Amino acid sequence: MSAQLTPHTSASAPDRRTSTIQKRTSMLPRPASIVLDDSVLIAQHAQLTGSYPITAGPNTVLHPHSKISSVMAPVVLGEGVVIYERARIGVASGGDAGGMMMAESASGGRADGTVLGRNVVVETNAVVEAAEVGEGSTVEVGALVGRGCVIGKYCTITAAVVLAPNTHIPDYTVVFAGSQQRIDRTLKDRPEAQLLKTMMHRKQLDIFKKLVPNNAAKWRMG
Amino acid sequence: MAQAFPYTYYSCDCYDSNTNITSAKRASQQAPIADDEDERTFDPRSPRSNYSLYPLEHLLYCEDCQQIRCHRCVIEETLAWFCPACLFEVPSSLIKADGNRCIRNCFNCPVCMSTMMVNSLDDPTNPSSSGGPYILSCPYCHWSTHEIGIEFEKHTGISQQLSRVANGGRQIPTQKERDKERERLKDAEGRKKDDRDILSGSDDSPTRDRVREDIPPSQEDSFSNLSAFYKTQINAQSPASFSSHDVSFSSPASYARIMNLYSTSSTKKQKREKPVPMREASGVFEGLTIFDPATDAATIERIKKEGWSTTLAPAQKLAQINPNIRFESELRPIPSILCTKRGKRCRSCRHILAKPEAKITSTRYKIKLLALNHIPRLSLRALSTPTSQISASGPSASAPAFDYNALRPGIPTHFLLHLSNPLFDPVRVTLATSSTTPGKVQSRVTILCPQFEVGANTDVWDDALQSSLSPVKRTPALNADGQIEAGKIWDRGRNWTSVVIEVVPGFLKPVTTGFSLGGDDGKKKEDEELDEDEDLLEIPIFVRLEFEADMVEQERGIGDPKRSVEGQREKREEAFWAVVGVGRVAPT
Repeated sequence: MSAQLTPHTSASAPDRRTSTIQKRTSMLPRPASIVLDDSVLIAQHAQLTGSYPITAGPNTVLHPHSKISSVMAPVVLGEGVVIYERARIGVASGGDAGGMMMAESASGGRADGTVLGRNVVVETNAVVEAAEVGEGSTVEVGALVGRGCVIGKYCTITAAVVLAPNTHIPDYTVVFAGSQQRIDRTLKDRPEAQLLKTMMHRKQLDIFKKLVPNNAAKWRMG
Repeated sequence: MAQAFPYTYYSCDCYDSNTNITSAKRASQQAPIADDEDERTFDPRSPRSNYSLYPLEHLLYCEDCQQIRCHRCVIEETLAWFCPACLFEVPSSLIKADGNRCIRNCFNCPVCMSTMMVNSLDDPTNPSSSGGPYILSCPYCHWSTHEIGIEFEKHTGISQQLSRVANGGRQIPTQKERDKERERLKDAEGRKKDDRDILSGSDDSPTRDRVREDIPPSQEDSFSNLSAFYKTQINAQSPASFSSHDVSFSSPASYARIMNLYSTSSTKKQKREKPVPMREASGVFEGLTIFDPATDAATIERIKKEGWSTTLAPAQKLAQINPNIRFESELRPIPSILCTKRGKRCRSCRHILAKPEAKITSTRYKIKLLALNHIPRLSLRALSTPTSQISASGPSASAPAFDYNALRPGIPTHFLLHLSNPLFDPVRVTLATSSTTPGKVQSRVTILCPQFEVGANTDVWDDALQSSLSPVKRTPALNADGQIEAGKIWDRGRNWTSVVIEVVPGFLKPVTTGFSLGGDDGKKKEDEELDEDEDLLEIPIFVRLEFEADMVEQERGIGDPKRSVEGQREKREEAFWAVVGVGRVAPT
């Protein structure tokens, strides 16, 4: 539990910005506004960057080295969202020029902004650039959800799946084996299954609260 | 072969071991056995040699035959069967009875083929006593038996519960019930046919039978009908199948049978009936299913209504046990297929070459006769020539790495062939190779030291204790001028020796056809264009080993079983072909 501070508290505070050219993502200034609920758990080395506001609902858990990036658009995390290690939420600044991206988002897909619904779990190394992820959904290890995607509720994006931008995934869908999709009827038809899932999720949140030291105070001040 | 250069392949002799046997049988079909095997040079390019070359790690060695064995000259035998999901060993008697699938709770998902788990669909707010209804669910694609309408009462004995329930919750009758039903229906049919003229309307249970007639029997019903029919046919066919120990004259039938057997020599031949040939099924109760085009029309209507996505992918359909299903709602969980633990035996002498441990979860081997432990390992690497060494001694740090993919033709290049000896006795090695490599690109190969000794694979400490002699000059082949001398080894260690091979890679195109005449364009082009892998420089080397080993006790003769054979050494000789892949010749 070292008291290591990540670089941008000292080097990249707004009054110390040396140039207006955007450098690497981690050197960006802190977001314009971070709204954190009181029960949010942010671990050490989690990164929240970008200039748009980031909002985190109650009981959200951000694991170490997770990255929330609101460089392009605001990010909203719903209640009970868990972001595992090295997961990336929000559209980071890609290689394209800013203008092209604006044109793209204007033509198709939803408006910018990433919204994760209640009890969404984003597992290790996943990249979620989607516009919206419905409640109860799980994005499994290493998946890539492209920009502008809309994912319904209680969906499962299995490991290492790549979703093209602006894909629409209906409710209760499981995306597996690269591109195959099917409706998870068990979860849809049986409310007991949904209840069980919610209960397990709540238990997980409790355990995280006990095991992961909370560094949210750093993000609350200023 | 996508191996990195340089590589070594060893030839197993099995690829032409049959020629001598077959030619002796049919003199009319004398296969042209060209030369004697020893005189024939090994051509790594021929299609036949493709089947005999293996890396040393892939080869086993039979100690009785004292020969290399590749994977095609071994016999595999299964030692144990086990389920990969539950790791439960299934005895072979159960395999013969129940087949090669797991009979406990291990099932594969019909959609994605991953192992399924038993989950409870219990209401958390109102938990039931037995743990609620259970379902089999797939952790990957989230398919579950709920989608076909099956739920289980207890979480063990799933396969038993599954065999009683069809999709949608209907009951499947057991074998006994099926037999009874079949008998009853057959009698009803028979009586109906007899009573046709009499117009008696008194059928027993008319409604049940009429409903049954419309629905074609399910796959399991047909199967059980057919197997029962075949059993009766077999029993009818085989005559007096009595075993000698129950020769009892209790029933007149058995007496008649026995008398028939003993007196069928001459007299009763005409009286014996012609055996009735076995016939095939002739009705629904015997397992015959007659094709009805109405079922196809119904299937098409169903696809139209429900959509293409409800039909099965070919892989899913093939994995199912019932081959006639087409729709997702007809899927059943697939019992896991069992895996085997196998041992390998030499094909000719049946000596065990590899035997794994009996414990399922351990990957070790009790017996492991590898070629690695009996055959010396050859490996090649480039040797920078002494002249180039001296010239490059100035900027020696930046010596370019040797490029095996771009051998320069026409320039003599030296390679170091390194032999390491795994045996516990010193070995005398003789190497031989033809002076030019076979194939279109002819490279000249010279082994500068064809005969040498390699030390025994003793312990490191033994060697350190014993070697008090003055150390051999480090590279005896290099003489004072820096030239490489023939007849001397390059370097030697405890159990290895290295010698120099000089290779002059050939030219890809003959030098003279720089100018192609107009008329012969087509033919010249054919000659000039090399096939794939023609520029690959491979050297076939014949390796002969001579060493003395402790005598193997071959047979217990009647002479003197107590005679001590320790200390008696016998001279042994082994030989094999090896192919050393050097690299590719660069076009000039």
